[in-house]
Amino acid sequence: MADHEHISCQEVVELVNDYLDQTLEPDETSLFEQHINFCDGCDWYLNQMRTTISTMGRITEDEVPPETRDKLLSAFREWKRT
Amino acid sequence: MTEAGLQDRTAAEETELLARLRAGDERAFEALVERHYPTMLAVARHYVKTRAVAEEVVQDAWLGVLKGIDRFEGRSSLRTWILRILVNTAKTRGVREARSVPFASLAPQGDEPAVEPERFRSADDPFSGHWRAYPGNWQRLPDEALAERETLDVVLAAIHELPPPQRIVITMRDIQGCDPEEVCEALEVSEGNQRVLLHRARSKVRSALERHLDG
Amino acid sequence: MNAYKFLRTDGTGVFTRFAWPLPDRGPGEWVEAEPDPCRAGIHACRLGDLPYWAGRVLYEIELDGHVVEHKTKVVAPRGRLLRRIDAWDDAFRSGYTRYCADRAHEIARENGIERWEEVIEPSIPEGPALLGFVAARIADAAGGADAYHAERARQADWLAERLGLV
Repeated sequence: MADHEHISCQEVVELVNDYLDQTLEPDETSLFEQHINFCDGCDWYLNQMRTTISTMGRITEDEVPPETRDKLLSAFREWKRT
Repeated sequence: MTEAGLQDRTAAEETELLARLRAGDERAFEALVERHYPTMLAVARHYVKTRAVAEEVVQDAWLGVLKGIDRFEGRSSLRTWILRILVNTAKTRGVREARSVPFASLAPQGDEPAVEPERFRSADDPFSGHWRAYPGNWQRLPDEALAERETLDVVLAAIHELPPPQRIVITMRDIQGCDPEEVCEALEVSEGNQRVLLHRARSKVRSALERHLDG
Repeated sequence: MNAYKFLRTDGTGVFTRFAWPLPDRGPGEWVEAEPDPCRAGIHACRLGDLPYWAGRVLYEIELDGHVVEHKTKVVAPRGRLLRRIDAWDDAFRSGYTRYCADRAHEIARENGIERWEEVIEPSIPEGPALLGFVAARIADAAGGADAYHAERARQADWLAERLGLV
């Protein structure tokens, strides 16, 4: 990528997750940010990805089943005794 | 709160829980079980055939955690350490009741673009590779649209339809908040593979959300 | 060292959305950045970098500590906004956008690459950052990387002169 002075939108959508996870090289990050700066489409795409991730973050998981909880508690009490 | 701030707070909470656990505090044990159960179950599910066996694996793993808790030195995160015990337990069990296809062999397949190529200008266009039409600006949407139960269901359905390697990675990273290192350790997959799987999974989920929100 | 920084109209960073302490009858407060030499830090523009980042609002910024120079930006551990550069307003941005569009037409015609003409005018509503890129991109198509950089430098000179920056 060092040869090009710019990246296209098609390349940006493949880099978006590396950018969000901060695993791009510094010069790649610069090219990415320069593109986002002038391209509303990619700015909105980046925001869509951020929104998708934060939506997933709101998913709550199932609770521990009661039988499992009981078994583990007895095991814990057993462990405490020894 | 910044990303870093949230991680620091979690680390501090875990240190406290760990101390209380070692002191025999039952509530601390319950809290830890609750915190790590979904991830442990998801990972166990990946190594053994049935949910019932996966639950047994998780229970056995907790016994292993209790046995070894005094030896935990904090060089890795507590979750990483717990997941390592879980994976060993699962694999031992898995030898007897193995899944048909091991995870590692499901390497990222060839071409799977994040967005359909038709949405970009073609090679003969001076602006080749740029959007033909911009994707939607979701900042314009009312907050309720994103907070609706229906939106969450669309996301859940999309995750459910992912191929298993992508599903487990996105579940661990984006639903359960695991670090990349924890995912790589637990699933015994390289950092590069983990990134590709996450990228593909997120791209599909975004796409499903886009269809729902933009029609 | 003093440099420049573009922010969104609400005073937040373009990529970080960090809410900068704005100058008000004096410099804004100092902002410290997370220590992470290549990735994080206070990002700012030298004069020559302005065309790459042409944003909505422009400030002069004072940087402190070890400043690392990159291709199109500088990064420092500490910075504070000194003053808003009021000359950079919407009217100025329009004028600069028009300048870049005219240059883009000129380069395309001079080099017989008319197929680029069709993207210039439709890009104008997007504003100065895009048009600066379009003009430089056409220069690149005509004369390679050197021409690209030369056009960017020309844009920076145009801006510096009219904004009264040195």
